[in-house]
Amino acid sequence: MRQVMALLVIIVFPGAAAASIEGDWLLSLQDKQRTLVGLLEIEKSEDGWVAYLEGGPVSVVTDGDDVVIVADSRDVRGFVFDRRMTGSIDGDFMSGTYEQVGAAAQKEAPGPWQAKRQISGAGDAPEPNPVDLSGTWVATQELDFRKYTMSLTPAGEEWLETYLPYYDQPDVRCTSIGLPAIMTYSFPFEIIASDNRLTMIYEYQSRVRRIWLDGRSAGEFVPPSRMGHSTAHWDGSTLVINTTNLEKTVRDFRGELISENARVEERYSLSADEDTLTAVITVHDPENYSRPPVRRRQWQRNDSADIFPYTCDPDSFYLKMYEDGEMDMYIERTDRRF
Amino acid sequence: MSKESYRQLLSPVTAILVLCFLLARIAYGHHSFTAEFVADKTATLSGTITDVWFRNPHVRYIMHVENESGDVETWDARGSPVVWLARKGWTKDTIKVGDKVQMYGFLGRDGIKMLSIMTITLADGTVLIDQVPE
Repeated sequence: MRQVMALLVIIVFPGAAAASIEGDWLLSLQDKQRTLVGLLEIEKSEDGWVAYLEGGPVSVVTDGDDVVIVADSRDVRGFVFDRRMTGSIDGDFMSGTYEQVGAAAQKEAPGPWQAKRQISGAGDAPEPNPVDLSGTWVATQELDFRKYTMSLTPAGEEWLETYLPYYDQPDVRCTSIGLPAIMTYSFPFEIIASDNRLTMIYEYQSRVRRIWLDGRSAGEFVPPSRMGHSTAHWDGSTLVINTTNLEKTVRDFRGELISENARVEERYSLSADEDTLTAVITVHDPENYSRPPVRRRQWQRNDSADIFPYTCDPDSFYLKMYEDGEMDMYIERTDRRF
Repeated sequence: MSKESYRQLLSPVTAILVLCFLLARIAYGHHSFTAEFVADKTATLSGTITDVWFRNPHVRYIMHVENESGDVETWDARGSPVVWLARKGWTKDTIKVGDKVQMYGFLGRDGIKMLSIMTITLADGTVLIDQVPE
């Protein structure tokens, strides 16, 4: 009987003898051309691990010191694939090799990955140490995993199930998509620094944004908008922008909802040579996300780059719909658009 | 067909089948942009440009392609936003109505005659690459 019980314990708790990987890890992965980074959060569950990469669920399975992590992603053309990372655990370090699984437009050769445990130290906020971010910034190789599936609330799931990006996205009909999407698309933008504000001029959809450094509130009669009301402070030499007063929009191409009550936090830091700008963008919107989705982006300084004009004409969008006999359907879906 | 045969056709089972067919049609019609193309199906098409939409948010070329049985098919080829192409010197005058070109790209799902453009080879052999900046 005791042997049977022991066997049952082994079956029920296969991870009992495994290394504890509970906690926060900084996951990085080396492609031929780029390094992707993301925060991997691992929690213990009854039968293994529950894990999140950049706020979206991933599969983590361990067997002794062996580990397999599978994270889905979406490439720039919209094709969804998995990255399968296999490797081993060594205390506060995990490493191994990864491969792309499934068809994608951007082919990735197998390469190394690693994860380092993050020890969070809640210290005092560093003294403000402003740096000059002014200039024209051109998007570089992406920095994040473009995690595809995010952790949505039931309301967020319900919205996404019936959302049709091709017909409902604001930008297919040339309407502003706003924050945070405008920050995550691969278009250049310019930062102009003034005493009490930063002005950002985006090529995508020819948009302008003001980030107030004097902490002012949104004016009483200023309506919510796609760019919202942004204030910023310096956390050491990291610019921290918080944006509220947002109008309802979608987070990216996929169409996950961003509510009017959302707060978008952006943290900008400059490389030592002052030529690379990195942003970590987090969406706090408990109505739609059970975990805040995170995106990381990087730009190179190129002050000779042109910000191109962006005239947008939705004619081909409506014409195609007319040709396809979809106009009635489109009109019926009016309440899905904003 | 007799009236009796029509009645047989409209039996409850048939009605359900018809309903399923209609629902399937609706689902098919409601494709999303990301679901319009398939990553593992590429094709090279040669044809004549019949319409050019060099506009944001997406460039669109309409092309007539002669298929194996000699029929002319109309293909709808989608490219990147104007700014990405313009930055590389690819303008509204690069490809004009009447030009004969060869296009390579991802095919539309479920046999729809759409192509997500990867490259276009012009008559003089110039190859244009439509790749999103990364």
